[in-house]
Amino acid sequence: MELVVALGLIVFKVALLIAILLLLPLPLTWLERKIGGHIQQRMGPMRVGWHGLLQPVADGIKLLTKEDHIPAEADRFLFKLAPILALAPPFVVFVAIPFGESVSVLGTEITLYASNMNVALLFVFAVIGIEVYGVIFGGWAANSKYAVLGSLRTCAQMISYEIPMGFAVIGVVMLAQSMSLLDIVRAQADVWNIVYQPIGFFVFFVAGLAKAQRIPFDLAEAEGDLGAGFHTEYSGIRFAFFMVSEYAIMLLVSVLSVVLFFGGWNGILIPLPPFLWFLLKVAFFVYLFMWFRFTFPRYRYDQLMTIGWKVLLPLSLANIIVTGVALL
Amino acid sequence: MSRVTDSSGKWIGWAFFADLGNALALTFSYMFSKSVTMQYPDKEKWLPYSRYRGHHFLKRDEEGEIKCVACELCARICPCYCIEVVPYEDEKGNRRPAKFEIDMARCLFCGLCEDACPADAIALGQQYEFSSFSSHDLVVGRDDLLAKPGKANAGGAVVSACLNTQENVLVKTSKQQGYNWWRNIRRT
Ligand code: SF4
Ligand code: SF4
Repeated sequence: MELVVALGLIVFKVALLIAILLLLPLPLTWLERKIGGHIQQRMGPMRVGWHGLLQPVADGIKLLTKEDHIPAEADRFLFKLAPILALAPPFVVFVAIPFGESVSVLGTEITLYASNMNVALLFVFAVIGIEVYGVIFGGWAANSKYAVLGSLRTCAQMISYEIPMGFAVIGVVMLAQSMSLLDIVRAQADVWNIVYQPIGFFVFFVAGLAKAQRIPFDLAEAEGDLGAGFHTEYSGIRFAFFMVSEYAIMLLVSVLSVVLFFGGWNGILIPLPPFLWFLLKVAFFVYLFMWFRFTFPRYRYDQLMTIGWKVLLPLSLANIIVTGVALL
Repeated sequence: MSRVTDSSGKWIGWAFFADLGNALALTFSYMFSKSVTMQYPDKEKWLPYSRYRGHHFLKRDEEGEIKCVACELCARICPCYCIEVVPYEDEKGNRRPAKFEIDMARCLFCGLCEDACPADAIALGQQYEFSSFSSHDLVVGRDDLLAKPGKANAGGAVVSACLNTQENVLVKTSKQQGYNWWRNIRRT
């Protein structure tokens, strides 16, 4: 009986997570277009529903009913595999993310995470690395100039930010003496990591921008020079997969920034429910992503490599050394 | 460029990304400024200034007679040769146009016809919504020109409008007093 309840709870949590992650891009696209519009003194979507609130739904219906076009020259197997490869890892990663301690519903303690892995951080970085293959395969399989250029850029870009990103969080792990995200958050109950690890956060966030392929590092899809980059040839629901994946990763980087550096659900000054604190912080980072997108131009391809190898990597290494010396 | 280097030329500004910070502050302030979007045609519509050169109209004199004396000067001066005037003599012995056609598809709205007219009979008015699926519909005759709206006496404003796809008039406006669209433009 115990086992059944526990199993049912896990299935329920996973289903809930998937549902939320699948539906969240709807409000997020609306928000992004609204924010973009107002930053450029436009209004954004206004016609469908109140202030265009139903626009994402209309877009979704459009994407679902569109022709699913596969170019004649494309590698059909890889072409179909790529969107799934891009979509699945961001979803899998959220299993390891804690959203709070626990709440008691009807007398039972329900934890606000699907699993408490002791190497959660490692798991997150390992799984999210797979997502890049979706982008690379997608661009390669389409057999089109722009798409291949996009995926080539991704290949080169990936290494130059994944390494600093991995190094940037080592300082956090050293402080918490654990790789479990839950322990990392608990270790920040008094002082958030951002106080001790400003450099680490900077490196992590810049690398995260590149990871999520958002402006100023959205070289893989660079609308200006590559059409739409790796997903130039995608249409309909497969294109939607890439879009959902992009938003899921944006959300993931926001959530990780909050969990690793901004104290997770620990609040300061104002006593709010922990989960609300968590949501507010994540919302701030999501807004930051959108704000950046409509403010900065795109970095050149070689500039990104320079930033990755010559700035972020030395900074993150120095951060590890300084943290280590300070802890001794 | 100059503005950025002014505040961030020093190494401290460089180290803390003063230029990027300036950019973020600028876009943030823009986010809370008024939007310049004109929601044409289903919510708002622009009423042009009185100097606006829109659809032509023919004027009548005090007795309700058409003012045009069919001198064909407008047809002569028109750079696109889009006016065709055929004169006749009416019962009072005046020279009047039997046929007065403007091909709006060819007109470039230069307003030369208005300038050339010795009888102050033709002018370019306020109306600008006369798109059509067929270019034949754009050849407008004498009686239609007489019925067209004249110059705007007040203009340069955005008024509320509603889209009406049933009648010929696609965009109906209710009131004449709108807001000045230029008030939303930021001048820095
Ligand atoms: S506005 Fe210019 S182009 Fe148009 S009818 Fe008059 S003279 Fe011709
Ligand atoms: S509109 Fe004026 S210029 Fe043209 S034919 Fe008539 S009187 Fe002459």
